[in-house]
Amino acid sequence: MASLDTVIYGDVTVLDLIIFAISVVIVVIVAKVVSLYLKRALSDRMERGELDKLIRGIQVAIILLGIWFALPSFNFDVGQLLVVGGTVGLIIAFASQKIASNLSSGIFILIERPIRIGDDIRINDISGTVEQIRVLSTIVKTYDGVYVRVPNEQIFTSDIINYVTNPARRIKYIMTIGYGENVDQMMHVIMTLFDEHPFVLAHPAPTIFVSALGESGVEITIYVWVPSRVWWSVKTNLPGQIKELFDREEIEIPSPQRIVRFTSSPTGSEIEGGS
Amino acid sequence: MFGEFDYTFRYDSNDVSIHVDQSEGFYKYFRKSAGESITKAISGGSGIMAINPVEPVNLPQEVTSYLEIHFTPVAVEPASTQLVYLNFPIEIGVFLESKGDFDILDIFSLATPKYSLYGPPEEGIITRYHESPVSGTLPHTDRLKEGVVSLTIANTSRSWIEVSRVVLDCRELFLYYSDIVSIIARMDILSKDIADVRSENRPLREGMKPSVLLSKARKTLIPEKIPFMMEFGVGD
Repeated sequence: MASLDTVIYGDVTVLDLIIFAISVVIVVIVAKVVSLYLKRALSDRMERGELDKLIRGIQVAIILLGIWFALPSFNFDVGQLLVVGGTVGLIIAFASQKIASNLSSGIFILIERPIRIGDDIRINDISGTVEQIRVLSTIVKTYDGVYVRVPNEQIFTSDIINYVTNPARRIKYIMTIGYGENVDQMMHVIMTLFDEHPFVLAHPAPTIFVSALGESGVEITIYVWVPSRVWWSVKTNLPGQIKELFDREEIEIPSPQRIVRFTSSPTGSEIEGGS
Repeated sequence: MFGEFDYTFRYDSNDVSIHVDQSEGFYKYFRKSAGESITKAISGGSGIMAINPVEPVNLPQEVTSYLEIHFTPVAVEPASTQLVYLNFPIEIGVFLESKGDFDILDIFSLATPKYSLYGPPEEGIITRYHESPVSGTLPHTDRLKEGVVSLTIANTSRSWIEVSRVVLDCRELFLYYSDIVSIIARMDILSKDIADVRSENRPLREGMKPSVLLSKARKTLIPEKIPFMMEFGVGD
């Protein structure tokens, strides 16, 4: 038992250190249990991002509180510790500017909130869904399911494209129909499809117009607004529906074609051909 | 079809067929409507099934909690109140109830869903969109598809205001049903651009039952009960 009374530094003995370590472990376990309980109780009542932030905040508070109560076992002067801690903090901050930069960027990201958990974003070459916003870094899951850790400083100093901050997004389609088709009828059937589609927004209304008279046919441009949250599914789903509709209405989508005229032929007749 | 039933319940009409069978040691819930068939197993047989209208913002996928109703413009004179009746689409929720706890089993609708944007694309809100006739008397509705909104429009401004839409926050909605489905709402117009809208927790007629709503069944935490502020205009 004599070894437990061995003084390590000042009045701090090995026993104090063990008690402190056990206290910290207990506090971390308590914080984990509380966070698990909160997750179970609130997961169906709160948005995931907000819940994560709440749990993280409570965990940090419990751990800090536990350490605060465990410290007297060292007979530390807490006031003195704060002063020393502040000084050490400054030294660490100067010594590790990158970490400090990431930390302050993380705080600014939390305040400014250009991204939130669950948002679809692009930062530089990284596209995906925001999984976690941590103090030093942000976790993005790419659309291929790859885990990417982006330092907060990089996020803060880069152009952020957030695809879902605005509630609605516009989709543009360009399609071509044959010169022999009735443009009004084609527009009417497409508008009917949009009217019946739940996520093609009623306002702003869809726009459809002849944008060019092309080499192979009449070029039609379509703009539709959809809720940002379902943008991808609507964007990938509508062309197939339009194609089905054209097939049903027997509206031709022409292949590239060119009319070739031979002004004279060996037999003297005129030949027309297309490809 | 609306009400609380045990598992022997059966409902068949041209549009909807709902029943629960007992097979392979389970109760099985079957629903057929609008070309869609659903089968779900239910464990335990001591529960009650509650079927009632719910807030119409869940199908085909939940993208908003707001309902926007467009109607024929009504010019409301300054410092006056006008009562109008509108209709709104409903969705039907099938809940399992046991020991006072509700859980959603199925949601379906006989109304066609359509969504819209209230306000500009950069700061507006997505809404479930519905166009309704406006009436000074209680309109006739098919209660499996539509409900009635009794909307009191109070113009507190100093000028005539033309009102042609109302946006209701479905997290704060109170739905009642009997032979009709109803919401009582009040719209306090502050200017042609701004109005406060709230749903009142009372039935349109005596004897109507309150609906179990999804926001309540999901036990969603709603931090504050404040009226929804329409800040992008009350007219077209």
